[in-house]
Amino acid sequence: MTPQSTKTDAPRTPEVTIPPADHLVGKNCKRVDGREKVTGLAMYGADLFPQAADLFAKVVRSEEAHADIVKIDTSAALAVGGVLGVYTHADVGGTNIHGLIRRDHPALAEKRVRYRGDAIAVVVAESERSAEAARDRVHVEYSPLPVVATMEEALSDGAPRLYPEGNIMGDKRIRRGDVDAALAAAHCVVTDTFHTQTVDHAFLDVEAGTGIWDGHTLTLNAPGQWVHEERRLIALALGIPVEQVRIIQPVTGGAFGGREDISIQIYLGLAALKHPGKTIGLRYDRAESMRARHKRHALKIEYTLAADREGTLTAARITVHSDEGAYASTGIAVMRKAASHATGPYRVPAIEVDVYGVHTNNNPTGAMRGFGACQMAIAYEGMMDRLADALEMDRVALRKRNMIVPGDPVTTGQRIDNASVHECLDAALAKFNERPYPGNDGLPPHLRRGWGMSAICFGLGYGDGFPDCSRARVEINPDGGATVYTGGVEVGQGLLNTMMQIAGEELGLPFEKMHVVAADTELTDESGSSSATRQTYFTGNAVRIAASELREQILDVAGKWLNVHPHEVTLQQGWAFETANDANRVSMARLYDEGLARGYSFKATGLFKPRTVPEVHGTGQSPRAFITYLFGAHVSQVLVDIETGEVKVERHIAAHDVGKAINPQSVEGQIVGGVAQGLGMALMEEVVYKKGRILNAGFTDYIIPTIKDLPPVEAIIIEHDDPGGPFGAHGVGEPPLIGAVPAILSAIYDATGVAPDTLPVTPERMWRLLRMRDGVPVPV
Amino acid sequence: MPSALAPLPDDIPLTRITCTINGEQVVADAPVDCTLLTFLRDIVGLTGTKGACLEGECGSCTVLIDGKPVTSCLMLAGQVNGRTITTVEGLADGDALDVIQEKFVETGAAQCGYCTPGLIMSARALLNDNPSISESELLTALEGNICRCTGYASIVEAVRRAHRELKS
Amino acid sequence: MFHQPVDIETALRLRGERPDATVVNGCTDVSVARNHGMLHPREVIDLSRIASLKTIEHDGDNLLIGAGATFAQLGKCHLKALREAALSVAGPAIRNQGTIGGNLVTASPAGDGCVALLAMGGDVELASAARGSRWVDVRAFFLGYRKTELAGDELVTRVRVPYNPVTRWYKIGKRGAVNISLVCAAVARRTDGSFGLAYGCVGPIPLFAPKAERVLARGPLTDALIAEAADVVESEVAPIDDHRGSADYRRAMCRTLTTRLLADIAKNGDQGDADAFSAGAAA
Repeated sequence: MTPQSTKTDAPRTPEVTIPPADHLVGKNCKRVDGREKVTGLAMYGADLFPQAADLFAKVVRSEEAHADIVKIDTSAALAVGGVLGVYTHADVGGTNIHGLIRRDHPALAEKRVRYRGDAIAVVVAESERSAEAARDRVHVEYSPLPVVATMEEALSDGAPRLYPEGNIMGDKRIRRGDVDAALAAAHCVVTDTFHTQTVDHAFLDVEAGTGIWDGHTLTLNAPGQWVHEERRLIALALGIPVEQVRIIQPVTGGAFGGREDISIQIYLGLAALKHPGKTIGLRYDRAESMRARHKRHALKIEYTLAADREGTLTAARITVHSDEGAYASTGIAVMRKAASHATGPYRVPAIEVDVYGVHTNNNPTGAMRGFGACQMAIAYEGMMDRLADALEMDRVALRKRNMIVPGDPVTTGQRIDNASVHECLDAALAKFNERPYPGNDGLPPHLRRGWGMSAICFGLGYGDGFPDCSRARVEINPDGGATVYTGGVEVGQGLLNTMMQIAGEELGLPFEKMHVVAADTELTDESGSSSATRQTYFTGNAVRIAASELREQILDVAGKWLNVHPHEVTLQQGWAFETANDANRVSMARLYDEGLARGYSFKATGLFKPRTVPEVHGTGQSPRAFITYLFGAHVSQVLVDIETGEVKVERHIAAHDVGKAINPQSVEGQIVGGVAQGLGMALMEEVVYKKGRILNAGFTDYIIPTIKDLPPVEAIIIEHDDPGGPFGAHGVGEPPLIGAVPAILSAIYDATGVAPDTLPVTPERMWRLLRMRDGVPVPV
Repeated sequence: MPSALAPLPDDIPLTRITCTINGEQVVADAPVDCTLLTFLRDIVGLTGTKGACLEGECGSCTVLIDGKPVTSCLMLAGQVNGRTITTVEGLADGDALDVIQEKFVETGAAQCGYCTPGLIMSARALLNDNPSISESELLTALEGNICRCTGYASIVEAVRRAHRELKS
Repeated sequence: MFHQPVDIETALRLRGERPDATVVNGCTDVSVARNHGMLHPREVIDLSRIASLKTIEHDGDNLLIGAGATFAQLGKCHLKALREAALSVAGPAIRNQGTIGGNLVTASPAGDGCVALLAMGGDVELASAARGSRWVDVRAFFLGYRKTELAGDELVTRVRVPYNPVTRWYKIGKRGAVNISLVCAAVARRTDGSFGLAYGCVGPIPLFAPKAERVLARGPLTDALIAEAADVVESEVAPIDDHRGSADYRRAMCRTLTTRLLADIAKNGDQGDADAFSAGAAA
């Protein structure tokens, strides 16, 4: 495009009609990455191999769950043809340690292995086959130590101490009101213990990527969830300056929290540093992915809930033990999120919560969609059903009596202005009642039908005073379009569209004129992690702030061009025109040239850094524990075969207040997809350990819902502008999963009269529950 | 450590494979134990077909052989000698997407997109075979393809729309 | 070396001459072992080009199924248990690959096709270049965990099952499709009135229940007789605890499924449908 610095040749008369305003916020703009994904041209980490990799790396992993390393013999591995090097901790130049929040996980084990997946050595070879052969021929001599396989073992007298300070990794407490007094005075007290399971993220795209060291920059094409933090962790572990590490996120096939911890990055980096100028390829297979990666925390939740005669909640006393596995990972934050969501969207005047993190020799546990809050929802919603039964009260009425209204406090004491949980539950129930409930009439005797519900809340972002900010940059392009630069990673959730639509809305540009550059530490500023349901809110705000600045620049220039006050200018579909006379107009492309000539940059950055207030140590109370809260409610209908224990979800309704749906299709995708993962967690998914060994490290036995397991999920999008969010939006990533699990369990309870307390409710668990109900002894 | 050590690099002999992939004849050597998936991705360089479980449980690697869907991680490359293979790269006609691809974009059925090529191939086989399909046939045709993101609703909708368009 | 014989004679000769070669047809089980690093074939005999192995034909009394018939083919079979067992295997792509012969030779206790065959009763044809062919009762084919009657130089060539039994099938898995059984069961009432009962995942091999079958032979198929047979089945099966499920559950399910499937035959003869949720599906 030829720059034009004068307006003499600019036609004032319209040669085309300006298309009507088309608001990108609220529009189902087609995903910008859709075409490359449906044609197979999208390049995921593993797709970079055939073209890019010169050398291939493989990781040697511990065969012991707990042992001292006596000796690492690499001679047989080095003798394999094509092998160029075998590297151990001694070859790592930096701290050799990684870990989000608390860094305690050796990248390559030195003296001790703590789970059966700990990495010990990295093999580099000319072919992947050579690397595999060599990996299998690294001989590690272990001196086995007693394996702490369960939390019970870890807490038992005389248990082996996994760390010098013992097996308790940390604790988190909530104290509000006088629980003892409230329990003593209560009309009704119910108590139960819940066991949630270890869950694997099971994203389809296993960890894979490439890395190269050119003598100055270590460039890694590796999927994560927070490229700028990964860059810091890699630099520290490998001992090179952070500016010399560049992370580029390839197209990424799902994450769900599973890419928050470091995976292949440090191994790729180490191999690349040892082989300058060569592109290293490293990919796991499914079994290695499952063996190596952190998992969702399994929780044991002991819950006591009290109410008065009318069903008003008076007290909750909750003790949680959380299997932290071998290393800390994000465990402390998960414990805290569990504590701060212990009583959900309910008013409970007296609360006592104690959460203990317990180390074992299982896989480290860390981030996964729901992050501690989802396990607690299983407990608090389960308790509401049990309490309703004990009080002989209607389940809906009991919930509605106790659900918070605007201004009420949640577990952390934070008062919630946007508490829309009543509306969510009403909407879900109304949808449910649109079709007659078929009940149990006419069913054969082995089938029982039931329905249930859940109401949940979720604090968005890291909260608790933890530094949480997003930066973004937006630039006007010479063609009058705009490019958004964000450090946020697209892992499938639709972040790219969200950011493009927010900027495009602000700038009055059509979607076709919008571009995005994401998750490259060299090209983009830090936008925090794609986790905690935070990107739409945080990075969305940063993008909007940057775009607003640009909008002001454009209005200034347009006002001058059109000879009107900037307030009288409308930006629409790539045009600026006088609001009262759209014949007086100029295209954005021309304005771009005009603006540059007048000294406008047409570049702007946005920083969004809201403050939260740390929870008071010991009481867990905070006036602003989280930047905002999200609400949702689900209704589920199930059919249970009471002879075989099989459960089929027949209907599932999910209502979520998303503030504003920037892209309703993406929001619906998150809701329905979250329900699917919730269904998996409720009914089938479970990592099974035996003495620290995963018995089902593959999809044959780690079972994920198929298309036949999902009913047509009915998603209800409720929009109440969040005053703090971009165009009123807040986010929706985690709540749908959190709401789905307890609603399904509630429906099973309704169908069978037995309340599941152990997840997942496999056919066998269901059968056992029913046998126990019927008084038939069943060995456990 | 696997109970069997990975073979040494030169241990597996090569076999010559001649086949037609997306309309083009391909002649290439592959180790005897090479799966069709590895052949397509690492040797032919067609990385649109994905591997995710390598146990036949997820369907990500689905391709068509002589029009029928197969799980490319669970067959040996040598088995496709003389066969005609269609991968996701072979569906679009230049810039014009296949109707199934177009509908996947339209309904937002590709979220992370990793399952998408396999699902599109399964759907393609279904719609190739059947002028009229029931809802249960549709679900059965896709039951071997795991999607971890969408909850399947947008996928079902995409295939329904593609079917409607093909019928009309 | 990748052999792709197009006729059975060549395949049998190769089998005799190349004892170390890996025989594949659909190759689904072999590939899983390969992908897990348990097996790296250096020489392969691929049977998938032998057209005569793929045929399914009948002579009025018996159905003759080529060993290379796929689960997709069997999914169109008129025998309900065999059809439903075949359609319960994995997803459609694998059903286009996996074969009944492969299912027999793999001899997994979870082999769905094997369980259906055991209930109906029948024979397996084994052939070698050196000794010709022989028919082995399918009930004598499985010798122990992943061990069969197949000799090192033999191939499975055909399966013969009665043409007209009334059959039922049920598989319990953890999800709605693509299941490895927790337990599966097949029952058959043959034209002579005798019954066959068979179960998957309740022993080292696919099991049948001769004692319970003898109970049923007393006829008629009343609720009381069914209950008695189901009792006997519980004592005949030999499940273990593993990460998929417990022995208790599996044993109990053998009873439940036996009762349910036989009751459905008693009530509906050839017409019934034992799928648990189909009765509730109207909702």
